[in-house]
Amino acid sequence: MISFEHVTKRYPDGTVALDDLSLECPTGKTTVLVGTSGSGKTTAVRLINRMVEPTSGRILIDGTDVRSRPPEQLRRGIGYVIQQVGLFPHRTIADNIATVPYLLGWDKKKARAQAHELMERVGLDPAISGRYPYQLSGGQQQRVGVARALAADPPILLMDEPFSAVDPVVRSELQQEFMRLQADLDKTIVFVTHDVDEAIKLGDRVAVFRIGGHLVQVDTPERLLTAPADEFVERFLGYDRGFRRLSFIDAKSLPLSTPETLELTASAEQAKTVLGSGAPVLVVDDRRRPVGWLIRSRVARWPDQSALVAVGHTFRADADSVRAALDSAVLSPVGVAVGVDDEGVLTGAIAHDEIAEAIRPPSAEIGST
Amino acid sequence: MDWQWAADHVDDFAEATRSHLYLALMPVLYGLLISIPLGLLCVRIPKLYPPVLGGANVIYALPGLALIVLLIDTTGFSNATIIIPLTLYTLVILIPNIVDGLRSVPEPVRQAATAMGFGELRRQIQVEFPIAIPYVMAGLRVATVSSISLVSIGVLIGDDFGGLGVFFIDGFQQDFMTPIIIGVVLSVALALLADALLVLAQRLLTPWSRTRRIRPLAQVERVEAGVSV
Repeated sequence: MISFEHVTKRYPDGTVALDDLSLECPTGKTTVLVGTSGSGKTTAVRLINRMVEPTSGRILIDGTDVRSRPPEQLRRGIGYVIQQVGLFPHRTIADNIATVPYLLGWDKKKARAQAHELMERVGLDPAISGRYPYQLSGGQQQRVGVARALAADPPILLMDEPFSAVDPVVRSELQQEFMRLQADLDKTIVFVTHDVDEAIKLGDRVAVFRIGGHLVQVDTPERLLTAPADEFVERFLGYDRGFRRLSFIDAKSLPLSTPETLELTASAEQAKTVLGSGAPVLVVDDRRRPVGWLIRSRVARWPDQSALVAVGHTFRADADSVRAALDSAVLSPVGVAVGVDDEGVLTGAIAHDEIAEAIRPPSAEIGST
Repeated sequence: MDWQWAADHVDDFAEATRSHLYLALMPVLYGLLISIPLGLLCVRIPKLYPPVLGGANVIYALPGLALIVLLIDTTGFSNATIIIPLTLYTLVILIPNIVDGLRSVPEPVRQAATAMGFGELRRQIQVEFPIAIPYVMAGLRVATVSSISLVSIGVLIGDDFGGLGVFFIDGFQQDFMTPIIIGVVLSVALALLADALLVLAQRLLTPWSRTRRIRPLAQVERVEAGVSV
């Protein structure tokens, strides 16, 4: 566990980067520090590896003051990833990754083997281990940065806006990769970002900072979205925090109904009969996988499949969140979210007004924040 | 141009060329040995840089002849009397190049190195200096070429101390162009050759340099595709 005890950092010019910070980052969990620029979150992580020294207060790792060890020795046990990556341009990818093992005096063979293993781990082809950083894309460079931080298997990982400089598609990939890695590795991670979505997606706990180095709230992402401590946090989380909160509710909790279905092989007669009531009917293939909606105004064209209206995207009834289900309903041409299992087989459907009903807070919560 | 004379004196030219190279390159080597630690120090303590650079400039401004005459008192008629001033002259080129090179190291690289657990000296030597090599090599090329062209003033101390310069004096005194032409041609050729070797050395030392982006990438891909290059 990393503990900040009443830590203040004041620069000689009088700027206060951190104001009396007390915070605990639990072992094996990801603590995300989020806030606007100038809120002291970067200063906070740099205090952990002594890139910055506090004006007052202490930082403890598992109860030991970080200042009880020489900085170089301390840092070799703490992985560090920054936004600009900071790869060594004159070293190959493998040697970049093996930086800390080399510093620790591992033999070259072992260090290289470790570098190759880590490349696979972070989703890089070991065939590029002999290349130089300039030959890699931004996303690949950041993967190397992560591999380099992990090379000596440090228990702690500090990540300062690691995914901020890449495009949204790559960022999302890197975030997925990060979650997969962390699920395996259980490192104690302190992660800095200015992106609330990223904080909520990646954090086990999220600490919100305000300008002047004030810590405003520390909570689980779900608690944060449900009960922001004050107006600042509420504004910072954004106007759609209610919608985002749905990410934390399992779609399993939704009451799905079994929709009226029609086989792909159904005749025109059958189609007319089923559509008699007027409500759209879901057409499924022989394995009951949704193919499209048949609506009344188009029923005359059946069995021509061009009569079908696309389902849009389905949601995994057993694995997705209510957010995915609601999104599926909102985007559905007929206002109905279609739930499927891991093989794409229909498990049920729910209309968006039914989802709205299901997520309405119990009356006891109405009126509280 | 007296070819017969030239053919008769091949050995003299060879000996003078060898001594020319020695007298020109030793100062560059010593200059580098002085400039690297001074450059590293100036980057670490930025206040030191202006006086160091100013000092190097003042030395460079001293007339070479005066410096040599002054030195004769202490070092006498020896190689040192020419090597010392030439060494001092390289500093004005090498120090700023080394400092600029070290300062060209991107801040995130420096920060990452520190955060990985490099001590300051180790970081300077293993990370920052290698990244500064293109700058250092640029300085080294100018210093080498200038040193090769300056050696000939050593002939003022004695025939043995000016490399190919001895032929300029001889030719001038005897009103005979052949040794002058051959001396100049050899001196220029040495400078060009040394420069070419340094360019080659730089390529070998910095396979990571962006300036050669297209070629190495194409090679890597061909290798990966299983085609030998």
